[in-house]
Amino acid sequence: MFFHMVLERNMQLHPRHFGRDLRDKLVAKLMKDVEGTCSGHHGFIVAITGIESVGKGRIRDGTGFVVFPVKYQCVVFRPFKGEILEAVVTMVNKMGFFAEAGPVQIFVSNHLIPDDMEFQPGDIPNYTTSDGSVKIQKESEVRLKIIGTRVDATEIFCIGTIKDDFLGVISDPGANS
Amino acid sequence: MGSADPFNRLVKLAARAFYDDITTKGENQQKTGRSDNRGIAVVVLDTLTKRQWVREEDLAKDLKLHTKQLRRTLRFFEEEKLVTRDHRKETAKGAKVYNAAVAATGDSQQTGREGDDKQKMHVHSYCCLDYAQIYDVVRYRLHRMKKKLKDELESKNTIQEYVCPNCGKRYTALDALQLVSPYDEYFHCESCNGVLVAESDKLAIQDLGDGDDNARKHRHDKIKDMLSKMEVQLKPLIDQLARVKDLPIPEYGNLQAWEARAHASGRSANGDLTASDPSKSSQGFGFGGTPMPYVGETKVEVAFSGIGEKGEMVKSETPMKVLPPWMIKDGMNLTKEQRGETKAETKTDSTLTAPEVSDDKKSSTVNDEKKSIQDEYVKAYYAALLMRQREQEETMNRPEPANTISNEDYYTTTERQVGMKSKRDEDHEGDDVNWEEAGPTTGGQTRQFKVDLNEEAEASEEEDDIDWEEG
Repeated sequence: MFFHMVLERNMQLHPRHFGRDLRDKLVAKLMKDVEGTCSGHHGFIVAITGIESVGKGRIRDGTGFVVFPVKYQCVVFRPFKGEILEAVVTMVNKMGFFAEAGPVQIFVSNHLIPDDMEFQPGDIPNYTTSDGSVKIQKESEVRLKIIGTRVDATEIFCIGTIKDDFLGVISDPGANS
Repeated sequence: MGSADPFNRLVKLAARAFYDDITTKGENQQKTGRSDNRGIAVVVLDTLTKRQWVREEDLAKDLKLHTKQLRRTLRFFEEEKLVTRDHRKETAKGAKVYNAAVAATGDSQQTGREGDDKQKMHVHSYCCLDYAQIYDVVRYRLHRMKKKLKDELESKNTIQEYVCPNCGKRYTALDALQLVSPYDEYFHCESCNGVLVAESDKLAIQDLGDGDDNARKHRHDKIKDMLSKMEVQLKPLIDQLARVKDLPIPEYGNLQAWEARAHASGRSANGDLTASDPSKSSQGFGFGGTPMPYVGETKVEVAFSGIGEKGEMVKSETPMKVLPPWMIKDGMNLTKEQRGETKAETKTDSTLTAPEVSDDKKSSTVNDEKKSIQDEYVKAYYAALLMRQREQEETMNRPEPANTISNEDYYTTTERQVGMKSKRDEDHEGDDVNWEEAGPTTGGQTRQFKVDLNEEAEASEEEDDIDWEEG
């Protein structure tokens, strides 16, 4: 799920950036540092939407670096257990398939793939129903439900299932979004 | 008063259902025909149902068991949360206290410990069945069993586990990222690079080979079978649980409390074997079979009755709550406070410059209340309102505060109107509509609004109630 929240970070700035554009440089550095990262607690920081406040800078003892506490607004993405997401299949394996929903990777094990879908190895490994009507292969879009998340300090990984109602393939690879 | 019989039955059923093959032998020791002691758990639990707090040595003697064995069993039960244990240092004298207490409960447990009379501190262990926990634990166990089977049955959202056959290391699907190998399509162990095997359907036996479809179906059926067998076999236990559900749980308290109680009872047990005092019933101290007063019971009684009295007193002393108008129905015999009339009135009137008006109202309301006739009140009220109205017109004292006041007024008057009218007649919706429209919109127009009200009210008063419904 996406959230829009205010986070704070202490940005350290080298003295060479001091000057007229100090604030801009600070903001640029913040964006470079933070966008795309993941914190276990908040989730993936997708984009910074604005700077709320920049506190007074403190010069660090011994070096010329200055630390600014910056409050910024950002969009974060954090997957939750029980959430239903659409994802794109990235790899199909005998043990299941991997899919990506934005920055988060989800693994669906074969145990949670409907029983009538069998793994077909080959050039393009895929899962197919016995009558060939439904196929899960690389680049297919699937709707899955997250049943478990593993949250490290800087990484979030999920397990999903497509065994429930209304889950499974949405569209095949190559179909337009 | 917690009679322990249904609970004892519960304990016995649970013991036979779940613990009948527990053995206290270690894994390595041989279980020969001679030294196999399976089922000992059942025996111990059964004995405990007949006693309350028992010293473990005594229990061992009674059961003709080795103390160590018994201890192991009891330790197991403690971990299963069926039994509470208490270990305390005692001299032999202290042990005598316990003996006396036990004797007093009517259970004849003559332990000849008088011989050991040295002033050494031994650690004596006592144990007692913990009924409350037993009830919870048995229910939890059943729930977990059912859940496990059901999950397997539906292949619900269980996180897959993987085992490495080489080194036995276990992984879950959450680790899948680290396990996936670029070379082949299997998961590899992190340490030994062996191919991982999915650990699926732990309950169903996997030796059905891998005729995949069939295997799945077989597993499915097996699990269904297990589930139904379980339900059939555990039915008496489940029934007993249901029976016990609403009964108060027999509680013996901790060792000291129980001892003190039993001791006191023992003293007075010679004469008065009076039935246990009902005032203690809520605690369920002691059990049905031991009728005796308790230490400090008098105190408790007093407290109880004191509380009872106080409760009542408090009840009567609590100032009558102002009933909200929607609660006031026709014909309710309410005090004026409950109607919130006088108080509300004083509140509103204090903001205006018309205290006499409220007094008038008060006196009139007092009279009316006695007769519980609302009409007079309403009349008086409206009269007062009109008077107030006029005063306000004279003083022209209705700027901004008037708005807020009027809102307040409006609200309270509305309440009263609503209340009043609902008292006379249940139907006041028409009137409601008027007010809601008029109220927020009017700022300085409240005067007019009020005048309207008055007219309307007075007019309708003269007529019959029937007219109200039209209005």
